[in-house]
This record gives sequence, C-alpha cells and structure tokens, in this order.
Amino acid sequence: MSENSIALIFVFPLFGAVLCALVGRKSRNLCHPIAVASLAGALWGGIETLRRVIASETNEVSYYFGGWNADAYPRGVGIEFRADYLGALIMLVVVGVAFLVAIYSKLPVAEETPEKEGPFYTLFLLQVTGLAGICLTGDAFNLYVLIEVAALTGYGLIAMGSARAAAATFNYVILGTIGASFYLLGVGYVYMKTGTLNMVGIQEVITANGLADSAAMQVAFVFICLGVLIKMAFFPFHAWLPNAYFHAPTATSSLLAPLVTKVMIYVMIRMTLTVFGVDFSFENTLWTEVIPWLVVIAIVCAATMALAQRDVKKMLTYLIVAEVGYMVGGIWVYNYYGFIGSIFHIISDACMTLCLFLGVGIILRKRRTTHFDGLRGLFRKMPFTMGGFFVGGFSIIGLPPTCGFFSKWYLITGGMLAERWEYMVALMFSTMVMVVLFFRLIERIHLAVTESGENIGHGHGDLALPESETFFDEAHWTMLVPLLLSASVVLVIGIFNQDIVNLIQDFLEPFDLPKGTGR
Amino acid sequence: MKKIALAVTVLTGILLLYAAQDFPAWGDLQSPASASPVSKHFIADTGVDTEVPNMVTAVLADYRGFDTMFETVVIFIAGIAIIGILRRTGADADAPALKRENEIAAEPDLIVTNTVRLLVPVIQLFAFYVLAHGHVSPGGGFQGGVIMGASFILVALAWDLPKAMDRLSVDRAVMLAGVGILIYAGIGLFSMLLGGEFLDYAELSHVLPVSREMARYHAMLGVEIGVAFTVTAVMFAIYANLSTRGRLEGGL
Repeated sequence: MSENSIALIFVFPLFGAVLCALVGRKSRNLCHPIAVASLAGALWGGIETLRRVIASETNEVSYYFGGWNADAYPRGVGIEFRADYLGALIMLVVVGVAFLVAIYSKLPVAEETPEKEGPFYTLFLLQVTGLAGICLTGDAFNLYVLIEVAALTGYGLIAMGSARAAAATFNYVILGTIGASFYLLGVGYVYMKTGTLNMVGIQEVITANGLADSAAMQVAFVFICLGVLIKMAFFPFHAWLPNAYFHAPTATSSLLAPLVTKVMIYVMIRMTLTVFGVDFSFENTLWTEVIPWLVVIAIVCAATMALAQRDVKKMLTYLIVAEVGYMVGGIWVYNYYGFIGSIFHIISDACMTLCLFLGVGIILRKRRTTHFDGLRGLFRKMPFTMGGFFVGGFSIIGLPPTCGFFSKWYLITGGMLAERWEYMVALMFSTMVMVVLFFRLIERIHLAVTESGENIGHGHGDLALPESETFFDEAHWTMLVPLLLSASVVLVIGIFNQDIVNLIQDFLEPFDLPKGTGR
Repeated sequence: MKKIALAVTVLTGILLLYAAQDFPAWGDLQSPASASPVSKHFIADTGVDTEVPNMVTAVLADYRGFDTMFETVVIFIAGIAIIGILRRTGADADAPALKRENEIAAEPDLIVTNTVRLLVPVIQLFAFYVLAHGHVSPGGGFQGGVIMGASFILVALAWDLPKAMDRLSVDRAVMLAGVGILIYAGIGLFSMLLGGEFLDYAELSHVLPVSREMARYHAMLGVEIGVAFTVTAVMFAIYANLSTRGRLEGGL
C-alpha cells in the first residue's frame, strides 16, 4: 500500500465525500465521524508520502495515474503527481489543518447550518481533496482542474452561511472565475508553445527551444501570475476576501482562511521555480523591479485597513491579506533566504491563522458577536481558549519562540541581502501594526471598559467585573482540543524550525538562487 | 471607475495582440503542439495501447482520466452546492410558499404533453446510444448524460415538477450522482487494489477474461457510464432546485 500513499491522500476524502452525500439525508449524525475518519486516513497517506520523499535519493517521488509512467511512454502522456519537499510539506499542512478543523466543526456545523451536514461535509472533504491535489500535481492543466474543485467547493461552503454570506460569495465567484480564466489562458499559451502540459516537460522544452524571449510565453507568464494573484487576494485584488470569510460559517472560515491563499502562493512558487524556471521568471522581465513595490503597497494598505476594524474576525481577514503580501514579497525579492522565508511562512502562517480562526469561532459561539465591545472578561471566562488564541496572535506579531518569528526572520534576511530596503521597512511597519492590534485586543479583553470607553475597573482590570461576566465557562472540548493542538503546533514548529528549514533548503539547492542581491 | 475598467480592458487586449504575433502558423505541422512526442504518441499508439478507435475518448477517459474524474467531481460539487445553499431547513421549510403574482394555474397543454410523450423515449434511447458509442464515434458520458438529463427536464416543463419528480426525485438524483462518482473512482480504486496505480485500467485484465488493452477499452465504457449517471442526476437536481428556489414544488 505504501507505494500508493500519494493516491490515498485524496482517495480517502473523495470516497468520504460521496459517502457523506449518500447518507447525509437519512442519517446526518454519521457525516462528522466519516469526515474525521477519512481525513485521518488522508493524514496517514500524507505522512507516509513525506517519509518516502525523505527516503528517496532524488528527494522526490513520482506517481503516474493510469500507469502511464515516463519510463515506458513519452513524459506527459498521462498525468503525473510529483511529491518533492515543497509539495509534500504544504500538502501535509493542508491535510493536518483540515483534520483539526473537521474535529472542531461538529458543533458549529450543527448550529449554523442545521440539517445541512450532508452537503457541508461533502464539500468540506472535496475542498481538502482539491487543495491537497494542487500541492502534489505535476501537470499544469490538472492544477487548473483542482483549482476549480477547490474554488467551487469554497463558494458552496461560504454561501451556506447567512444571506449576507451568499451576497459576499457572489463577489468571490466573479473574481475567482476571472482569476481561474487568466490561469487557464496562460496554460493554453504555454501548451501552444511547448506542446506539453507536464511541469517538468514544460521546463525542458523552454530550455531546449530557447523560449525565454518568446512573446507568447511571456504573456502566458503574466497571465498565470495575474490569475494566481487574484486567487490569493493580493492587495488590489483582495476585495472578495474580507467579506466572504467574515460572513462564512465558522467551520468554513477556519478551513479556508489558513489554506486557500497559502496554497495559491505555493502555486506561484511552483510556477516560477519549476515550470518557467528561475532564468525565465526572474532575469528576463521587469517583474523583479516592480512587484516588490506593489508588495510594499499591499502590506502597508492591508495592515492599515486591519487597524481600522472594530471586529476581531474582520480584522483577521485583513491580516490574511497583509500576510499574502509578505510571502509574495519573499518570492519576488529574488533571494535564496527570501524563498526559504516564503515557503516557511506558508507553513507557519497556515498554523497561526488556523489558531486565530479557531479561537475566534469559539468567541463567536459564546458571545454571539466578535465585535470589540463584546470581548470583556473573556480571559477569566475561557482562559485556555484565549491562551491558545494569543499564541496565534504572538506568532503573527513574530515573537519567539513561535514559528512566526522564524519565518519572518528569514523574510527580513532575504529582503536585507537582496538590498530591498523598501520591503524590509514594510515588514517592520506591518509588525508594529500587528503589535498594536493584538495588545489592543488584550487590553479590551482584560480591562473593564464600558462601551463608551469609561474604565469601570479603575486599574484593577477584570477583577472589578461582576461575577456574572467572569464565571469560568470554557469551550466544549471538541472545539478546545483542536485549538490547543494548533497552538502547540505553532510552538513546536517554532522550536524545531531548523529541521523544516533543512528540508526547504534541500528543495531550493538545485535552483541556484542568488544569496545576495540578484540584480 | 469605468475609465479604469476601459484602460484595463485595452491593456489586456494589447497584451493578447502582442502574444498573437508569436503564435505558430495556422495548421503548421511543425508547431510544438503537433510535433511533440506526446501528440505523436496519441496519434500513433492509441490503438495499440487501448484498442479504442476514437483517440479523443482515449485521451479523455484513459490517458488523462484523472482530470476527467475531477471534472465529474466538479459537476457533482455544483449539484451538491446548489442543493446545500437553496434547500430550506427547519422553520424555514414550513413557511408558506411565496404567493407569486400573475401565476396561472394552467392545465398541461394537450399538444405539448403528447409531443413530449412521444419524444422522451426517443431522446433517452439516443442518450444511451451516445453514451455507449463514445469510444467509437464522437460522444461519451458527458454528452449522453446531458441528453438524458434534458429528457427529465422536458417532462418537468411539459407537465410540472412533481410529475418529473415522481420519476426522479431530488434525493434519488443526489444518490445517483454519488453513485456515478463511486463507479468512476471505484474502477480506479479497484485497479489500484489489483496491483497497479490508481486508474490503471489494464490491471482489470486480472479479473476480466480479456487482454490488458481490451481491459482499458471496457473500463473506459465503465467510467463513461459513471460520468453519465452524475451528469444526468446533477442536471435535473440543479433544474429542480433553481426553478423553485429550493422548495421543490409547483410548476415553472
């Protein structure tokens, strides 16, 4: 079974999804256990795959669907899944996050989308199938199909919330479709000029035929990058994200917020490094000059907009947009350490965003609101929940020993060595905004401030609050345990960061990226 | 805002034109897509690999069968998502239906219903033909499924939705759609359990009394049937839910 571990990653959720659809109408209570069990199976397949990648000599494992392997047939006849350190690590993050959210989702799904467990978990599992597949596929068109799977399930999962969620989804549908169309058009041009859809095959043809100066290829590259930037909610294209994730049901936003944007950044790294190649992407274009400045605008604007929010969940959605700027910047400063930072930040940002959204979901369930005014006394009511939530918050700020510190460290190192001072300044600015955001939150929760801003605690914090506002009322264990697990993952990844960075370095070594400034 | 939109549109157009000058010539035999080893393999060896005369079907259902499986899943998702969003639950479901203005409770028209009565069997027979003939001539599961689904929608149009739902209820449609995916992915999983890779139909020759090539041939028909199930069911489920805003009652 081990040689099929790559197939198992999506076979389990795929069959689980169909099963949920079949039993969902009659026996709704079965859907949650099916989802958890099939994701546990997928997690096992994912760990097995990473283990095999580490054990292999070339640091990558190929899997040919339909048995059309590249030894007996021309490369690209069938569809290839190719797991290397980059893909396998991010796939594992996807499946792991989904597993935790699946456990967590039992109560929120039953309460927010009653009697719809069947469709919900069907779409939930197919979403995971799509996202995990994106991380592993070695075929540019298959990537498009899987992006569509992930996007369509995402629309459905978000729109199942309130009526306002459906309205927000409509925005998302339009922008998401535009992004996907750009990507597809780009892939069409690439196929026209190279005659293959296999990612490694495309790279070989570009080198062999000297396609670096080809106008069609350059336009294809622009279209693919543009499509992916729209899909990842990079700043001027971010408009769909805050409303969609804010109005989405709790379980949906906990699943989509940590994963979707991050997986799209993975696609961008894959396209620049593996498909088009370093020379094509970074040395023949104006991109390396222009994009870092766009990144600066993106980070500063998103951080400022986050500062203007008066609602925790809304604030977090803008933080996602800012974090997207970090990672895109890490790629386009074109530096070895920038790339390490970007890839490591995908992993750590997924974990810490998960932590924050799980925490916010619990607050929403207990208080019926996530507005700043409704937070008073939460530390004493739910000490474990808020502890987990603020581990995520400190990681977003970048305090050691959380993983956010180390990924940001590599990003800043990359910016410095590439002599991209503007990117560094933007990162510093954003870090300071995050400090303000989270310490303001702590103050809001801890101090006994009335809605009009009057301090009724007179310096005694929440001790002055009446007993009715502070009695111990911790979250249900199905919600608390995933939150605490994700918080401990944030710390564990931070403490053992060197092991992960070693894997990322093994992946980046063959690409010969500049360690200083690439200009 | 409109001016910005205009500027973006013009810019995109210029980019497209800039790329167009670099396209391979029309019908160029040496263009990369024609001259690549992949295309040559498809044209020369499809018959050798799979015994299927229609190479489009072979590319679709076998060489790139993994894509097609997820395309079918996309259709399944569309159906499930629409049902999930529109279906009324709890107190919502008991609320009285919206009173629509100008609603004419017309009897089904005699001419229309009689025509449909004659047409539907022919349409469904043709759907089976398109499905079963997919690997020899143009056709296949998607086309056959759409034709089949259209026949149910035609019944709903000529009479009303309950009449069509007597034959295929939405719950049963969801079940059929799931069964379609199970057939496709199940054939893939079964070939994996027989020792090959996922969707490696050739391994089915261990259980079927045919050669490895003919196993691929027959498995392609199998997955096309799975696709047809899903497409038929989802077509009808989407129509039923969208036309009644999830209430599943009344006419148009």
